[in-house]
Amino acid sequence: MEHVSQFDLNAALRLWLERLGQSPQVKVENLKELESHVLDSVTQLQTKGLSSEESFLIATHRAGSPAQLEPEFAKVNRSPLNKIIHGLILVVFSVGCWLLWAILHLPNLMRPAPQGRPLPGFTQFMVGCGSYWAVPPLLAAGYCPYVWTRKHGGRSSWMGFFAATIAILFFLILPTLIAILLPMIDFMNQLVSK
Amino acid sequence: MLSKELVAASTVPLVLSVLTQGESYGYELIQRVRELSGNRIEWTEGMLYPVLHWMEDEDLIEAEWREAETGRKRKYYRLRKEGRKALQDEKQQWMSVHETLAKLWNTYPSST
Repeated sequence: MEHVSQFDLNAALRLWLERLGQSPQVKVENLKELESHVLDSVTQLQTKGLSSEESFLIATHRAGSPAQLEPEFAKVNRSPLNKIIHGLILVVFSVGCWLLWAILHLPNLMRPAPQGRPLPGFTQFMVGCGSYWAVPPLLAAGYCPYVWTRKHGGRSSWMGFFAATIAILFFLILPTLIAILLPMIDFMNQLVSK
Repeated sequence: MLSKELVAASTVPLVLSVLTQGESYGYELIQRVRELSGNRIEWTEGMLYPVLHWMEDEDLIEAEWREAETGRKRKYYRLRKEGRKALQDEKQQWMSVHETLAKLWNTYPSST
């Protein structure tokens, strides 16, 4: 009985919660709820004649070990990393689209004198489409608020977003390269013919 | 004793069903399910809370911190309209499994 009287329930509970709270996946609110749960459980076990120490040991065993609880809390308490990565991908994608738009202005710099030959048709078409280069980043930006505000944010979806933006950039880079290569070839041909 | 997989799969419908009888808190939910199942459904108690929080995120239930008569603060959970609808879907699915097994076994599954 002497041993029982030395047991400090509050200190033991604090230690148990501290161990659990070391995981960044377990929030303060989770700890408060588990604390309330363990205390309810201890109170119930004590009514059956168990000592505080025995009740505490059984209550915490029933509640689960940190190794069992942490992964479960991690599933619902995701860090904002997924959202931050979406934002970074959006920035890189927008800069990529802007660079492509800027590259499309190069043919205008290579344009020969007014009396010279006009730019190839495909290049003219691509330069004409330049202002539409803002559409893909706008669509991507429109998707991001959905990711940031959706209720169940546990899913890690940045990989799909990354793959989609890279694929779009690739399909934009290809015609852009052709559009700037055509007037270069034309320009070289002009030089050779002179 | 039920298998871990079956216990995990039945957690959401069990919580929703208990909450149709009125608001409750984690410890009480566990006690109620244990009592109703005749101690055959044993949750690792702490693992119920992440499920409750997921259900809260999904708008199936709502929660409120209140002081109990013991003076201790507890988080009470209540069923939401979306939760009642989810429970109807769960009921249909579980009844389909139940009826199929009953036909296959040519009897209603007994508790023994």
